[in-house]
Amino acid sequence: MSTTLVEMSEFLQKGRVKNVKELIQKALDEGIAPKTILEEGLLSGMSVVGEKFKKNEVFVPEVLIAARAMNAGTTMLKPYLVQEGVESKGTVVIGTVKGDLHDIGKNIVKMMMEGKGLNVIDLGVDVSAEQYVTAAKENDADIIACSTLLTTTMGEIKNVVDLVKAEGIRAKVMIGGAPVTQDFCDSVNADSYTPDAATAADVALSFCL
Amino acid sequence: MERTSRQLVLDTLNFKNTDGRVPRQIWTLPWAEFTYPEMFKKIQDDFVWDFGGPQTTYEKLPKTQGDAYEVGTYVDEWGCIFTNIHRGIIGEVKEPIVKEEDWSDVGNVHIPEELLTFDIDKVNEACKASDKFMIAGCCPRPFEQLQFIRGTVDLYMDLMDPPKKMLEFMEKMHDFYCRLLTKWAQTDVDALNMMDDWGSQNALLINPELWDKYFRPMYKDYIDIAHKHGKKMFMHSDGYTLDIIPRLIDLGLDALNCQIFCMGVEKLKQFKGKITFWGEIDRQHLIPNGTLEQIDQAVKSVYDNLWADGGCIAQCEFGPGANPDNIYQIYKTWESIR
Ligand code: B12
Repeated sequence: MSTTLVEMSEFLQKGRVKNVKELIQKALDEGIAPKTILEEGLLSGMSVVGEKFKKNEVFVPEVLIAARAMNAGTTMLKPYLVQEGVESKGTVVIGTVKGDLHDIGKNIVKMMMEGKGLNVIDLGVDVSAEQYVTAAKENDADIIACSTLLTTTMGEIKNVVDLVKAEGIRAKVMIGGAPVTQDFCDSVNADSYTPDAATAADVALSFCL
Repeated sequence: MERTSRQLVLDTLNFKNTDGRVPRQIWTLPWAEFTYPEMFKKIQDDFVWDFGGPQTTYEKLPKTQGDAYEVGTYVDEWGCIFTNIHRGIIGEVKEPIVKEEDWSDVGNVHIPEELLTFDIDKVNEACKASDKFMIAGCCPRPFEQLQFIRGTVDLYMDLMDPPKKMLEFMEKMHDFYCRLLTKWAQTDVDALNMMDDWGSQNALLINPELWDKYFRPMYKDYIDIAHKHGKKMFMHSDGYTLDIIPRLIDLGLDALNCQIFCMGVEKLKQFKGKITFWGEIDRQHLIPNGTLEQIDQAVKSVYDNLWADGGCIAQCEFGPGANPDNIYQIYKTWESIR
């Protein structure tokens, strides 16, 4: 792999926006294809961060600054990717369920999914079943991702699953957050539960292939 | 003569409670009071409670707006704006005061110096009139307050490479907290307290190295202030905090309220006799969904693993989602143990 891309991935892992941008320019000047820059320079760096986060080798702040660098990079690359006709690998609608305002975990999941090249539409917090489903329809989403941190709002997940079924939309429902378990996932018939954000992103990608 | 609540708690914190019961405290969110008023009252009436907080008056109070526990907007003593969607629990900051990356607008934050104007005599009268163990009426929370000021995501990122103005502000905030704690330590209360949630469900929220660099020195000062004045120090911290417990023990913290069940009582056994576990019983799974037998077992496992002539306080939170019968059972079981 090009040393420019290796360096880019390393700077991304350290959250160094300026260096990442400079290296994107360098890579473009070297004639590396934008899609290769995206995948081998940016997304690969984010994957490393995701794996380290899963193993508790890095923590929330490290993930956030890496994601900030990734976003700065993808924003810069976007016009080139559009020109090349590169499309996202799938669309996710994400949010924290109705009644719940916790959003750190949801944000991390979003960043990891973006780090897999998915297009993530963030509905924020306190999102009702209707809002998830409407957004999924409007964006022809592959996935609806629901986060919840309160036992009192876990029930909302069932409302989302039920509405998705009732409306017959194709989106898979992924769920997570501190109190959620595989048993709970089975009991509400959601499509997937994962305990951490990196695995969530892998599963999401597999749903889009 | 029967031992007072104050003495019972002190003996427990000093690991010298050889023959007394386990001291009790309950935390309630307004949610519990209006959702289960009868059980709320029954619990208060059926058990003896050992902790108190002194009433006092302030010459001047910082400006706040609204009610932290009502739906809508609440502005706290520092000027942080919370949006709340649920009556009876707190909300979250959606509009930070500090919006600039270099913290150049930090002048907009109000340091609530007014809280220093509380009446020491009133505090002392309240302590004298009560034989409960009295905890001070202030609670520094440097990490959380910084999040409320800057917004969670931005604060976490800023911590990785703090701008100069942020560090200066942290010093000012810390100085304020030290002065506030010192004044409370000069009263007749028995303990000071502080809080900051440090864990997610299975890890620390930030790298322990960052914790050591920025927060350990602050907590050290707070604990030292308490001890210099002959007071005990209590702390609350939610989440999986296993990695910082040895550090807090090192700093001399007397009692920690943490999510015992999210870490597992087995992993905490190593700290038996070194710190007092100020509660709790699992409010994510057991309190809402556990059976009475599971509650019994949970309480017993805390006692069996963490009690050493002290070192445990029978405490839990009666908050959103709780099954009120389970809350009652927690105290019943503690009572039956000793
Ligand atoms: C930080 C925090 C807060 C902050 C939130 C800040 C914010 N912007 O989010 C503040 C202070 C505002 C807060 C408020 C409250 N909180 Co709170 N909070 C926490 C704490 C300490 C950490 C949560 C966190 O951010 N973790 C970090 C992230 C990275 O982890 P995570 O969210 O679990 O996400 C990971 C995985 O779960 C997964 N994941 C997450 N979402 C998704 C989604 C999908 C689709 C997938 C696949 C995976 C996935 O991936 C993430 C990364 O690996 C937890 C403790 C705990 N044990 O979790 C309590 C906790 C969640 N809070 C709790 C409570 C009770 C409250 C309050 C009611 C308190 C009060 N006094 O009023 C309020 C409620 C506010 C509201 N209306 O929603 C309780 C809930 C108990 C229960 N019965 O369920 C907890 C468990 C603490 C405890 N002692 O029990 N809280």
